[in-house]
Amino acid sequence: MKDKLNNALDWLKEKKVDYADARFVRIESEAIRVTDGIVDTLTKDVNVGVGIRVLYNGAWGFAAVASVKEADIKKTANKALQTARASATTVKEKAKLAEVKAYKDHYKSPCEKDPFSIPVDDKVGLLMELSDRLRSDSKIKTAEASADFYKTNKVFCSTEGAAIEQDIIESGAGYTATSYDGKEVQKRSYPNSHRGDFATRGYEFIEEMKLLDNVDRTREEAIQLLTADDCPDAETDIIICGSQMALQVHESCGHPSELDRVLGTEISLAGGSFMQIDGLNKLKYGSDIVNIFADATIPGALGSFGYDDEGVKAQRAPIIQNGLHVGYLTSRETAPIIGQTSNGTMRADGWNRLPLIRMTNINLEPGEWKLEDLIADTRDGIFFDMNKVWSIDDKRLNFQFGVECAWEIKSGKLGRMFKNPLYTGMTPKFWNSCDAICNRNYWHIWGVPNCGKGEPMQTARVAHGAAPARFRKVKVGVSK
Amino acid sequence: MIGKEKLFELFEKVAKSSKADETEIVYIGSNFGLTRFANSIIHQNVNEANCKILFRTILGKKIGVASTNSLSYADLKATLSNSIEIAKYQKDNKHFPGLPGPEKYAEINTYFESTAAYSPKDRARQVKKIFIRANKRKFLTAGAFATGDGEIAVFNTKGVSCYQTVTNASVNIIAMSGTSSGYSVGLSRKVEDIDAVALADIAVEKAYLGKRPKPLEAGDYEVILEPAAVAALIEWVNYIGFGSKAYIDKTSFLSDNIGKKVMADPVTIYDDGLDQSAISMPFDFEGVPKKKVYFIEKGIGKGVVFDRITGNREGVPSTGHGLTASDHGQGAIPLNIFIETGNKSLAEMIASVKRGVLVTRFHYINGFIDTPKLVLTGMTRDGTYLIEDGQIKHGVKNLRFTDSMLRAFSTVKGISPERQLIPSWWDSVGCIAAPAFHLGAFKFTGTTDF
Repeated sequence: MKDKLNNALDWLKEKKVDYADARFVRIESEAIRVTDGIVDTLTKDVNVGVGIRVLYNGAWGFAAVASVKEADIKKTANKALQTARASATTVKEKAKLAEVKAYKDHYKSPCEKDPFSIPVDDKVGLLMELSDRLRSDSKIKTAEASADFYKTNKVFCSTEGAAIEQDIIESGAGYTATSYDGKEVQKRSYPNSHRGDFATRGYEFIEEMKLLDNVDRTREEAIQLLTADDCPDAETDIIICGSQMALQVHESCGHPSELDRVLGTEISLAGGSFMQIDGLNKLKYGSDIVNIFADATIPGALGSFGYDDEGVKAQRAPIIQNGLHVGYLTSRETAPIIGQTSNGTMRADGWNRLPLIRMTNINLEPGEWKLEDLIADTRDGIFFDMNKVWSIDDKRLNFQFGVECAWEIKSGKLGRMFKNPLYTGMTPKFWNSCDAICNRNYWHIWGVPNCGKGEPMQTARVAHGAAPARFRKVKVGVSK
Repeated sequence: MIGKEKLFELFEKVAKSSKADETEIVYIGSNFGLTRFANSIIHQNVNEANCKILFRTILGKKIGVASTNSLSYADLKATLSNSIEIAKYQKDNKHFPGLPGPEKYAEINTYFESTAAYSPKDRARQVKKIFIRANKRKFLTAGAFATGDGEIAVFNTKGVSCYQTVTNASVNIIAMSGTSSGYSVGLSRKVEDIDAVALADIAVEKAYLGKRPKPLEAGDYEVILEPAAVAALIEWVNYIGFGSKAYIDKTSFLSDNIGKKVMADPVTIYDDGLDQSAISMPFDFEGVPKKKVYFIEKGIGKGVVFDRITGNREGVPSTGHGLTASDHGQGAIPLNIFIETGNKSLAEMIASVKRGVLVTRFHYINGFIDTPKLVLTGMTRDGTYLIEDGQIKHGVKNLRFTDSMLRAFSTVKGISPERQLIPSWWDSVGCIAAPAFHLGAFKFTGTTDF
């Protein structure tokens, strides 16, 4: 494959392009979903193709083809070149790329048990048991359990001499019970909502999830929610669970620290960012205990890889240190604008898409607290558990998030359950009200398999390490 | 383009070797180009030639699904085998009624050569016109101009062999001043229908009108929602309310409200895949002809769409809204939504408002708060204005709303006589033909800094 890609790149070099890269990607995927004891999804997909990116006269062109034939790849190289020429008619300032080492390497994600070698019967059997146990009470209207697996082989070559192959396996699973009593509908999920938890690991990750151990509690909580009180409208102290903290980091720190958004190049769909360049090393993003790093090097985390889709080696980079905004997620084109080199976050969701700046593992560093001590230390408040609703403005300032379930905290103890809980705030004010983060024992890297960005839309698999944390005087309720 | 004859010849050959009781092959092929711009330059310019071939094989009541993006005979045979292997591992799906047989399909033209032939150069030429138009008034622009063609074929061993070629063209434009932004959007199967200059003018005018926005307190306001704002709300109402899965799961507001009053009298919302004024399509991905389905008629809850499995489960026929076999777990979803027009023009709406808010569009809506009550939350974006004494006074900083659409759309004071095609925000398939709405009450619950 490398020879085919390099032949196309050699042809482009003859055409005097500034730069070009070519990516072969083969993704094998398997999706299983059991709903109410019926396997409504059991599919396998194989997706193969080549994408070629050309920088010509300071302007970009990209073309992709669902083929690995040499003639098709060359034709696609020409299409990318012609497209770059069309783009060049509007260039004001030529795009320049930060220098990087041209690596020759082969990266493999850690995997003890290839999920594609596990018998389908075993995987279906597990999900069937989960679904059956979830719906063992008549108040459960729908019981869904799902598992998804991906096996990706990528080959990246560039006109600068990079030649990188990567083999990445991703696994994930989860379940949701929907309860209904004739007037109220509620949901409860495990280990997380939105298809569960994911990692760049093999089937051993699924086995470690304790899926069966939590199924009865999940069912019972879904039923309890039917008769729970509505979350009150109030301004109060809140403790947010780890998986919801992951979503909080994702939406209010991950996205606004993408330098392409900051520079305005994502405005047409997802919007811009309040974390502007003139605030770098000045903006007090959060309280002193807030430390957030982008780290693509953590073995097994969903946002980990060997190299990004520009051939830049995976890195750990600070975004927020002691509450101060100190860094961005960058690419080879954007990093020089702030006088830096790329920290390696350019990824495409397949051979047919252009790499964009994407989150890797954007992690909130753990603090010192035990969760039970933190609850005991909170006089009046609400504990928020597991995401249900997410919405944030196009500069990532005003957010409103809802969770599946919440509990009142009274005099340092968890009390009654609340349904339809929401909390809302403005990002810097909210993060500056963070006064406690739980310790590493409560810290987990949550895989998020559905991060959307770009036109045409791309879906990235990213992750966030987080532990439960407390925020003071937050507006809650507003659901009615 | 592969072509109907070549595709069906290939599928017949592959299906002949199938050892399944029934075999379905769905082909979706496309050539797609998108020119994306920001800060009034083209910064992303992409082309994609891709396809997906999905096999659904049936062993008794067991269903196997496998797919590939290779049309080589060997890969198709391997995918067919995969699909049969999966079916062997499956459990019986008691709701599966078998694959459909052939039916008569409406003949509609969904392909225009001018769109298919549109090149990156052509798109760049149009985009440059947008830049020039905006630059005259010192505005920068961001957006995307996309064109593409495709072919969709559904084949099965019970005699279905339907085929359709399609084209699509769309543009979205955001014009920006230092303090404001404005938005416009166009969508058609025919690229000549997209008037980039006129759309640029709309976006620029909106940004101009919203310069130096002032803060507005959250609260209940009378609102005028332009078509893009209405479509964004109804897109979520569709997602959580008009599909068969939500209906069956009891998470839809329609689950317990068929025949009951859910919105104001003037509200009628339906799906019509055959109406060629939108992005029409004569059949679904199971090869079932599209039927017109009313969700809300004159404010009364009427029904939802079904595919063959969910229809059979509920004892009704498919309405022709089946997704591809890999997505059958989601049930049926409408893709061609129309909202009935009224007779109050946008100008008349504005003139009739004592104090209210005009909304161009919404951003990042989410409707999972309380789905049976249709509670949505989201932000305004790219043109929000205060109306006082029948006139637009000034732009306002963006607002967050959190409200039940059952409540908001029960306060209709007028609907515009024209409607506009608005593409889906998150999906390349589907659109909503939406008019502007004048609502008596809409609950804004938060504010932001811009």
